[in-house]
Amino acid sequence: MTKKFRAVDYIAAFIIILSINFALPRLMPGDPINAIYGDEANIAMTPELKSKLIKRFALDQPLHRQFLTYLSRLCVFDLGYSYYYKTPVIDVIIGSLPWTLLLVIPALFISSVLGFILGVESGYRRGSPIDKILLSTLMLFQGFPDFFAGILLLLLFSVTLSIMPLSGAHTTYSGLSGFSLVIDIVHHMALPCMALVLARFSSIYLLTRNSVISTLKEAFILTARAKGCFERAIMYRHAGRNSLLPVVTATGLQLTHLITGALFIEIVFAYPGVGGLLYNSLMTRDYPLMQGILLIITIIVLTVNFLADLLYQKLDPRISHAH
Amino acid sequence: MHIDYWRSVRQNNFAKIGFSLIAIILFAAIASPLITQYQPADYTGNIFISPSWKNILGTNDVGQDIFSHLVYGARTSLIIGCSTALLSTLISLFIGGLAALLGGIYDRLLLRFVDAMIIIPPIIVIILVSSYIKPGLVILILLLSAFIWPGGARVVRAQTLMLKEKTHVPASRAFGSGFIHILVRHIIPELGPILIVIMIQDIRRAVFMEAGLSFLGISDPSMISWGKMIQHASKFYYLDVWMWWLIPAGLALTFVVLGFALIGFSLESALDPRLKDEQSQLFKKRY
Repeated sequence: MTKKFRAVDYIAAFIIILSINFALPRLMPGDPINAIYGDEANIAMTPELKSKLIKRFALDQPLHRQFLTYLSRLCVFDLGYSYYYKTPVIDVIIGSLPWTLLLVIPALFISSVLGFILGVESGYRRGSPIDKILLSTLMLFQGFPDFFAGILLLLLFSVTLSIMPLSGAHTTYSGLSGFSLVIDIVHHMALPCMALVLARFSSIYLLTRNSVISTLKEAFILTARAKGCFERAIMYRHAGRNSLLPVVTATGLQLTHLITGALFIEIVFAYPGVGGLLYNSLMTRDYPLMQGILLIITIIVLTVNFLADLLYQKLDPRISHAH
Repeated sequence: MHIDYWRSVRQNNFAKIGFSLIAIILFAAIASPLITQYQPADYTGNIFISPSWKNILGTNDVGQDIFSHLVYGARTSLIIGCSTALLSTLISLFIGGLAALLGGIYDRLLLRFVDAMIIIPPIIVIILVSSYIKPGLVILILLLSAFIWPGGARVVRAQTLMLKEKTHVPASRAFGSGFIHILVRHIIPELGPILIVIMIQDIRRAVFMEAGLSFLGISDPSMISWGKMIQHASKFYYLDVWMWWLIPAGLALTFVVLGFALIGFSLESALDPRLKDEQSQLFKKRY
């Protein structure tokens, strides 16, 4: 698989997504402004705003003109107008995106490192009691849907033990600043982040474990043993490092799962990130906002996966030299 | 087939747990009217009753028996999971098999299409589409299948390419058999175990996604679903009802997903010779 071909895949995927985004509201019965903005919005909007929107998105033009206008509007990040927040969609999304990243990036880091270490330990001791316990526990975690893991943590720590905040990303109107504000934010993000890690790190673990098990059969492991290397060195320097490759690719894919998982977990914790916003937009039928959110998430996911693909080729010279 | 997959799966403890979990849920789904005397929509007369003999898990905010929701929810979950898996595996088989058998430009075009579809995160597109059309059971199954199949198609293609190289396929072609005949008589029977793995993974993903959609509140409101129970119950944190309303629904969902994950995991290790239990003596001695 050469680099050029992967890029074609991403472009094709992006075009499919754009077409679905464009076509879906226009396939709905009724006039397009109604379908795009929903019934409630139609009532809430003033006639001036309505005619302005129709003009801006060329809704009175034939379909191909509409599509071109849609694309050109996208190029300047004009995703429409959120009638619920009374602001352009892109501004609403940019306002909540940092909160989601604040959850996803630590979760990605923790779940990769934790999954990798446990995977190496477990794969190296395959068949031992530790391996069996780890494997069964993590298989159990894999069964938990993200939002249920979140709810369980919420019920345990916030409702029953009352040691963690129930919702939100920081204490509102507390007037905190500086270090105490940081502590407050960390206190609020701990549970959602933990829920994400719990629901997702088992796949990294399983992958590392499999990878280590097959690496252990290589001749260089036997050599390392014969040299009298320490166990730790064999585990991490020889087996672990050579099992890293599939794990890196999986981390890219993992981010997709973490972002979609975060959407659900944010809803559970009423976290003000993109997921919370998506839920609000679904509840208030703010269609442009919902479409915008899903489009932005797709773009992020595709970009990240593309970068992971490139990184993978850089890390493994065998792939770029194969052709 | 030279390896008895079925035996190695049966001896696997994970598979045993997985099959038991699924058997319990399957029993609940089939025998729902026998297990509970209430219909999910029935009004029992009181709201928020604590569990008792009459209502094993009490009643919800509109006075419906929660246990009956739980039991009938198994039906929705399994029907959606199994039908989606069946449909999407058929699509995977068709597209993957077609690409591998036709080869050349068709293979390359189909593979491009499959790869583009794999990159698209299914849950996002499904949320988008269902927020517009509020899918009922059938539409939801079609929708889920439409975005779950690509992963399977890749596996089927790779496997078919391998099978195609085996001598009996060109032999059969030399006797004049056509594309369909080769597919049905030679390729599909040997794809069997792989197709089952794909199907099990598809069931797990479909059940998972259906619950997610219901949790977001964008599936058909009249559908009885565990995801919807969780969404509904999570509005009442301040009462004790979550103990017999939210937790059972979440656990039931977890058990189904877990059950299929365990079966899938053990099937995969039975099929993948690298993961087979043939540990070298060296490692056994050390630990």
